[in-house]
Amino acid sequence: MMRGGLAGRPRDHFDWPLFIAAALIAVLGVVNLYSATSVYLGTSRAALAEIYINQVYWLAIGGVAGAVVAAIDYRHIERFAYVIYTLGVFSLIVVAVLARDVRGAARWINIGSFSFQPSEFMKLCLVIAVAKYLHDDPRSEPRTLKDMAIPAVLVAVPTALVVRQPDLGTGIIMTLVFGAIVALTRMRRSSVLIFVVSMAVILPVAWQYALPYQRARLTSFLNPTADLTGIGYHAHHARVAIGNGGLLGQGFTQGMQNQYRFLPDQYSDFPFPVFAEEWGFVGSMVLIGLYAFLVLWSVRIAARARDRFGAVLAVGCGAVIFWHAIFNLGMAAGVLPVVGITLPLFSYGGSSVTTVLLAVALLMNVSMRRNATFSPVERL
Amino acid sequence: MKNLELGRAQGVRTRMGVLCGTLALGLSLVLTGAYNIQVRDTDGWRALAEKQRLRRLHVTPKRGTVTDRNGTPLAVSVEVPSVSVDAIEMLRGIDEAYVPMRIEQYGERIAAALGLPVEDVVEKISRRRRFAWLKRRVTPDEVEAVRALGDPSERYPVRGLNVEGEGQRFYPQRELAANVLGFVDNDGQGREGIELSLNEELTGKREEIRGVRDRAGRLIFSEGVEDEAALAGHNVELTIDQNIQFIAERELGIAMKTHEAAGGSVIVLDPSTGEILAMASAPGFNPNDYGASEADGRRNRATADRFEPGSSMKVFSMATALAQKSVEPTTQIYCEEGHMPIDNVVIHDTHPAKWLSPTQILQVSSNIGMAKIALALGPRRLYEGFRRFGFGERSGVPVPYEASGVLRPRARDWVPVETASAAFGQGVSVTNLQLALALGAVANRGRLLEPVLVRKITDGTGVVLNETTTKVRRRVVSAETARLVGEMIASVTEGEGTGKEAAVPGFRVAGKTATAQKIDPATGRYNDTTYVASFVGFVPVDKPRLVISVVVDEPMAGTTAGGAVAAPVFRRVAEQTLRYLGVRPEGTQNAKLADVAAYADGQDPAKAAYQALDPRPASSAPAAVVPALGARGGGTQVRLPDLAGFPVRDAIQKALELELVPIVEGTGKLDSMDPPAGSLVPKGAKLTLIFEPPT
Repeated sequence: MMRGGLAGRPRDHFDWPLFIAAALIAVLGVVNLYSATSVYLGTSRAALAEIYINQVYWLAIGGVAGAVVAAIDYRHIERFAYVIYTLGVFSLIVVAVLARDVRGAARWINIGSFSFQPSEFMKLCLVIAVAKYLHDDPRSEPRTLKDMAIPAVLVAVPTALVVRQPDLGTGIIMTLVFGAIVALTRMRRSSVLIFVVSMAVILPVAWQYALPYQRARLTSFLNPTADLTGIGYHAHHARVAIGNGGLLGQGFTQGMQNQYRFLPDQYSDFPFPVFAEEWGFVGSMVLIGLYAFLVLWSVRIAARARDRFGAVLAVGCGAVIFWHAIFNLGMAAGVLPVVGITLPLFSYGGSSVTTVLLAVALLMNVSMRRNATFSPVERL
Repeated sequence: MKNLELGRAQGVRTRMGVLCGTLALGLSLVLTGAYNIQVRDTDGWRALAEKQRLRRLHVTPKRGTVTDRNGTPLAVSVEVPSVSVDAIEMLRGIDEAYVPMRIEQYGERIAAALGLPVEDVVEKISRRRRFAWLKRRVTPDEVEAVRALGDPSERYPVRGLNVEGEGQRFYPQRELAANVLGFVDNDGQGREGIELSLNEELTGKREEIRGVRDRAGRLIFSEGVEDEAALAGHNVELTIDQNIQFIAERELGIAMKTHEAAGGSVIVLDPSTGEILAMASAPGFNPNDYGASEADGRRNRATADRFEPGSSMKVFSMATALAQKSVEPTTQIYCEEGHMPIDNVVIHDTHPAKWLSPTQILQVSSNIGMAKIALALGPRRLYEGFRRFGFGERSGVPVPYEASGVLRPRARDWVPVETASAAFGQGVSVTNLQLALALGAVANRGRLLEPVLVRKITDGTGVVLNETTTKVRRRVVSAETARLVGEMIASVTEGEGTGKEAAVPGFRVAGKTATAQKIDPATGRYNDTTYVASFVGFVPVDKPRLVISVVVDEPMAGTTAGGAVAAPVFRRVAEQTLRYLGVRPEGTQNAKLADVAAYADGQDPAKAAYQALDPRPASSAPAAVVPALGARGGGTQVRLPDLAGFPVRDAIQKALELELVPIVEGTGKLDSMDPPAGSLVPKGAKLTLIFEPPT
């Protein structure tokens, strides 16, 4: 049995399906962003109509960064895992201390005219750190909850910082990404049971401590038409636009609900309704299919990973993309509550785009340095 | 070891399968959601989307203009901005917990910008309606302040504030003809006067249009909007002449002041057409600021107030008796030397006399002589006679609250004493307009005409919708009787007649004074302190041009007699109006209105020709003027241009420029001409213009 061997050079293993899926989403995203903001042409907010160009810049920057990350063997990343993690947590602390107020939430660090959102990058730092911990713990028997205590703390610290911002959405994603990693880890049955029971206790308690707007969003999700002009407004208008698309859509830049500006946040939180209105259910299927492919492909990459670090890293990155997609699409389609979570490569934003591209790059990295054969047994 | 390996491999596969399944399940859940919305329920969502975008708007069109007969605007609508708030839009997206605070903040800023009490603004926003007026009729400074509040580049812009034009009525002539015009309230509804009676015409079509709006409620484009002018209210041209109205109002005002009267009215009527040239009512008001006036001052007394006419009724009693041949013009009537008991009442004369002819009875205004004639005529015939002159019924001019007057208060035949007093105008009530119209029938050779107050109604595009023509209501008495009565009452203003104050130098005036006691509402009896002084007459006697009826209510200072209070008003109004109309004193050739205008303004033959076309039935053919114009105009022939498609006004204008006499048929756009375009016609020839309404 070949162990840790690399069949051929990494370049020969370039993961074209992964690349093409990500590139397709990115291209659709820019096109959609153009349509979403074209309504602002000729208005006092005409600057917004230009943001699709910025998005291309971000994709370029993220692409270059991703190429570098993909090129470096992830074992080097593994070596610096805790350093990366510490830097991420540190930047979150900086935000907490001196961040400026942006829409009721302090999430940004401003460096000159450039501002970035550490919580986005933190998701990847987290995955790297947990992967590193599990990699360094080479046991193969089922783990107990106690065994998972340290990874849980690794997750809890940034989650707490993010929720305090307050950014409930990112906090939920971090927790769920960790959940996806745990799901792939071999656990003792009793531990799984205890975990489920304790969650059933903790969640209601967390509800008690949730901020009013966070609670309002969840309750409005349960009864979306109760207050159309208040909190339920976003979700409601998103669904009106999606429904207006019908089976085949209204055509590019022809989405009436968007063109007449009934869609709030159409370039950040709600790019999907714009897309769905213009391209219809057919377009929705294509887009959701692309995300599904990306996510399932990342599990495949994990299964073929060279070592445990690579496997956990791949599952974590896939989970980041999955949870983003599922929450954003879910809130737009009205099956999940409204939480401000971006749609990977579709939503406008430098931090978001770069983070997703880095996640894809990490997947590519693991994929290019995979085993020749499919033998996940030793890794997980 | 192998088994263990296998078991572990199995476990990993299971977990991966579960993970992949969960991921796929999550995404298919989203896909199902999209399917439900986009395919299964798409109709419902589409309908909702359309409902959001489409908004029904009520477009209030511009209210029509009211002008006098010469086109001078008397009431016009101007757009004045008003500020309203859409509280839903204003508070959209604001967390419910912060709403009261925001309302307070916005309220303070808005109140500061508009100079309103903060609590009022807060209260209006708190109602959270889609629409509420904040302040109507704001100044340009306030508009700017509101715009600044809503400026999106502001750090905290206030959304939901709307500035829109609202029509405000403006009366450029202020008090002039205010009681005829009435006024328009804040909601654009006519109150009083023409504004009320022709409210629907003036308002125009309140069209509901469907517009597409965006989230901010801004109209993006609209579907099916008609031409704005077509929706606008219709324009009304009155028969009132601004200048005559001014004369009448000024003279009435002077009389009011001189005699400290409670009220009064003056009507100037063209007896040959029934057109009301002036209708003054005092006290008046300024319709631009109607709130500052008493409701009492906004009434049109000429049509709304009924009063006991007194002696002026003798004219119509006499005309009826003469027409019925119950008295001859030469009959001598014994007038009982000033005292005559009928039933249990004694009738008095102010000028006791023995034998008087009918003419003398009118001249000295003998109640006894008139009573005797009326008793000979009988109550039925006298009543019928009054009815034929138009008393006891509304004249039908488009003014609100027109009174009909009462002839038989108890709805039964008159008993002798009632017949006698009705003959000299006691126990019956009339309006000033009825009086003027009835005397108009005498002046117009016995024909009672429909009164005309509205000359023409045109729509926003200039198409004439309704043009009033002279209509004869009925023949009241024969032409000879009318002429005879006219001659009889001409004596009133001559020599020592009661109405000598009404005599206009250079003209013969026919008329009748009246001084009627008023019934004290407290006792129900006539009293000796309050009177209605009136004079109704026409001038010149031979070819009457004007009927002027003056009523002064409760003159207090100095004399109270109609001859002293109302007759001078008649004289001054008649004098000035005749001069204004260019009517030459008798003895010289009487000039027609059109002729005068033609000669006075010889530089503009078109205008002269137009005026010569004035539809009044002139005794001398106006055509006589037109050929003369052709002779004056240099060239004698013109080639007809193609005027097809021209609106009425432009086509007429064009024809007049060519010194042709346009004859208008139909309304709308010019369809054809007779003779046709391109033909050579002599100047002054008739050109028939046939218009077709646009299809």
